[in-house]
Amino acid sequence: MDSQQITTLTGVLDKKMNRQLKQYLDICARCAICKDACHQYVATGDFTYLPARRAELIRQIYKKYFTKTGEFVPALYEARDPDENLLDELYESTYACTGCRRCMYYCPFSIDTAWILSVAKAILIAAGRGNEMLGQLADAAIFKSDNFDMFRDVIVSGFKDIEAELKELTGDPSAEIPVDKKGADILYVALAGAHSILPAAAIFHEAGTSWTLSMFESANYGFFFGDAEKARKIADRFMDEAVRLGVKEVVITECGHAYRVANIFHEAWTGKKHPFKVRHILEVIDEYIKDGRLKVSRCIDVPVSYHDPCQVGRNGGIFEQPRDIVRALATDFRDMTPNREQQWCCGGGGGIVAISEMDAFRLKSGKKKVEQIRATGAKIVASPCENCRLQMEGLNETEDLGVRIAAIMDLVIECMDLPGRKQAAEGA
Amino acid sequence: MDTYLQITTVVGVYVAGVVFVAGMGWRIYQWATTPKSPVRLGMFPKPKTRGGRIIKMLKDTLIAPHSARIEPRMWLFAMMFHVAALAAFVGHLRLIQEYPILPELLGAEGMNAFAGWAGGIAGTLMMVAVLYWIARRTFGPFKQLSVPEDYLLLALLLGVIIMGNHMRFIGHVHAADYREWFQSLLAFKPVIPDSIRFSNVGWSLGTHMLFVNALLIYFPFSKLVHTIGSFSANLVRSE
Ligand code: HEM
Ligand code: SF4
Ligand code: SF4
Repeated sequence: MDSQQITTLTGVLDKKMNRQLKQYLDICARCAICKDACHQYVATGDFTYLPARRAELIRQIYKKYFTKTGEFVPALYEARDPDENLLDELYESTYACTGCRRCMYYCPFSIDTAWILSVAKAILIAAGRGNEMLGQLADAAIFKSDNFDMFRDVIVSGFKDIEAELKELTGDPSAEIPVDKKGADILYVALAGAHSILPAAAIFHEAGTSWTLSMFESANYGFFFGDAEKARKIADRFMDEAVRLGVKEVVITECGHAYRVANIFHEAWTGKKHPFKVRHILEVIDEYIKDGRLKVSRCIDVPVSYHDPCQVGRNGGIFEQPRDIVRALATDFRDMTPNREQQWCCGGGGGIVAISEMDAFRLKSGKKKVEQIRATGAKIVASPCENCRLQMEGLNETEDLGVRIAAIMDLVIECMDLPGRKQAAEGA
Repeated sequence: MDTYLQITTVVGVYVAGVVFVAGMGWRIYQWATTPKSPVRLGMFPKPKTRGGRIIKMLKDTLIAPHSARIEPRMWLFAMMFHVAALAAFVGHLRLIQEYPILPELLGAEGMNAFAGWAGGIAGTLMMVAVLYWIARRTFGPFKQLSVPEDYLLLALLLGVIIMGNHMRFIGHVHAADYREWFQSLLAFKPVIPDSIRFSNVGWSLGTHMLFVNALLIYFPFSKLVHTIGSFSANLVRSE
C-alpha cells in the first residue's frame, strides 16, 4: 500500500469525522456485549461479524492516524494502515451488515456500529472497493432521472397497464392512477413493479384520497452502496417532484430503508426542511381504517404474525400501526418474541439481498428469525419491507417453514370488499 | 525506600494529576469542537420531551437495562465493579476531609471499623469483577477482540486494587495519617508522615500510588474516557 492511497483513505475518514463518530471510536470498551445482539454473529459465531470487531477496523485506522498515542505506540491499540488485509475484512463485514442497529440497542454506550460502517463504506468506495452491484443499481437510478425524457413514455404506459388492472379490481371504470397531478394531497412513492402500486391505488381509490403517483421508485441503492451524495440524488428525484406538485405529504410505500431515507436522512443531507410531511403508507392505512374511511372485514382466520423491519420499527418508529392493521384483518394475531424495538433482524436488510455472493451466508444468518417464526406457529407472516420478505421467502423455502410471507397491503386488499378481486389462496 | 516513596507518593501524584486533568480537558475540548453529524442517529422508541430524553439517557448510562437483558452475568460484574469503584472513590474523599456526621455517630473507633468494612467489601468486589473481566477476555470465544490496551488497563486496575486491599487488610495505619500526607500534597508542602514511612505498609502505599499514577496518566488516552463519553453517546440514542 503506497502512501498516496493511505492519504486518500485517511482523508475520507477525516472528511467524514463528526462528534458522534469520534466518541464512538474513543469510548468503545470492547466489552463485546453487542455480540449476542447481531443475528449474523449469533448464527455463524464468526469473529468477522461481531459488531465491535467491524467497527474496530475503522478504529485501528483512527488510532494510527488521528491520535498521538496510537501514532507512537500503535501496538497498544493494534493500530494499523488501511492495507489490503484490512480492506478485505472490512469489505466483508461492512457490506454484510444489514444496518439493523440491534447492536446499538444493547450496547451500554449506544454505539451505532452501522454509522461507523457507513464511514467504512465511504473508505471502501475511495479504495475502489465499493460493492459493484449496489453501485451499478445506484448509478442506474440516477441515470434515470438525468435522462428522464428517455424513460417517461415507458413508465407512463406501464402505469396505464396497472390502471387497467385497478379498474377491474375495483369494478369502477373511472378508477385511475393519477400522475403529475398538481395540488394532490399525497405523492405516493412506490417501488418498481405493480405489486406496490396496485394495492395502494385500490386503497386510495376506496378511501377517496386525492393522490398522485411518483414517477420514481423509493428504493435507494445509493444508501446501501454507502455514497451519501448518490443517495441524496436518488431521493431528490421524488422530493423535487413533491415540491413541484405542491403536495401536502409524501407517502412512502411499505419499504423500510426508503422510509428512513425520506423521513430522517434526506433533510440532513440537503440541510433544508421539507415543505411537506413524510409518512409511511401503513400509517396512512391505519388512519383510514380507524376513521372508517376504509372498510375491511376480519377475513383471515389462520394465525398471523408480524415481523418489524428494522428500518420501519427500531429505526423508523412505526410499531403499533401495522399491528393494529393486522388485528383488524385477522382473528388470531401472534407477536414474535422478542418484538418491536427488540425484534431480531431477519437478515435481509442493508442491500445484502442484491449481493449474490453473500446469498448462502444471508440465509444462514436468518437462524434466529426461523426460530422466532416457528415458535409463533403462525401460518402467515406479514411484513412491510420488501427486503425482509425476500429474505423470509428464502428462509421459508430452505427451512420448510410452511408459512405464507405477505405484504400488509396485500392482506388489506384481501379483506376489502372488492368486486374484481381474484380470490387469493387462503392461509398457506 | 525514601526515594521510591518520594517518586510515587509525591512527584508522581503531581505529574499524574496534571496529566489527568489536562488530558481529560483536551479530550472534552476535542469532542466539543468537532461538529455534530447533521443526521439524527436516535432510535425508537424515544421520549418526546428534552427532559424525558435526559432521564432516559441517565437511566441507560447508569443502569444499562438493555445490556442487562442480553448478558446478565456481564452486567452483574460490570455493575459490581462500577458501584464498588464509586464507593471506593467516595471513601477516598476522607483523604481530603473527614466526613462531618459519621464519626460523631460511630465514634473514632467505630468510624475506622466502618470504613474498614465498607472499603474491604468494595475492594473485594472490584477485585472479583476485574478477575472476571480478565478471564472473560482471555477465555471467551471472542478473545481476538481484545487488544493490549484492554489488558494493560485491567493489569493497572488489578495492581491498584490489590495494593489498596493490602493496605486495608494488612496495614495498621488509619485514615488520619493518610490524610496528613494527602493534605500536605494539596498544600504543596509534601511530607510523608513517619507513621506511614516506618509502618509495614509504607511500600504498599508507594506501590498503590505507582499503579494509580500510571492509570491516571493513561486514562485520558484510553477507552476509559467512556466515563464522560457514555453520557453524551447515550443521549444521541434518543435524538
Ligand atoms: C457511567 C456510566 C458507565 C458505564 C455505562 C460503564 C460501562 C462499562 C463497561 C460496559 C465496561 C466494560 C467492561 C469490560 O472491560 O469488559 C467498563 C469498563 C470499565 N469502566 Fe466503566 N462505565 C461507566 C462509568 C465509569 C466510570 C465513572 C469509571 C471510573 C472509574 C469507569 C471505569 C471503568 C474501568 C476502569 C473499566 C475496566 C476497563 C477494562 O475492562 O479494561 N467506568 N465500563
Ligand atoms: S457493546 Fe458497545 S462498548 Fe461494548 S464492545 Fe460492543 S460497541 Fe463496544
Ligand atoms: S447493525 Fe445489525 S447486522 Fe450490523 S453489526 Fe449491528 S447487529 Fe450486526
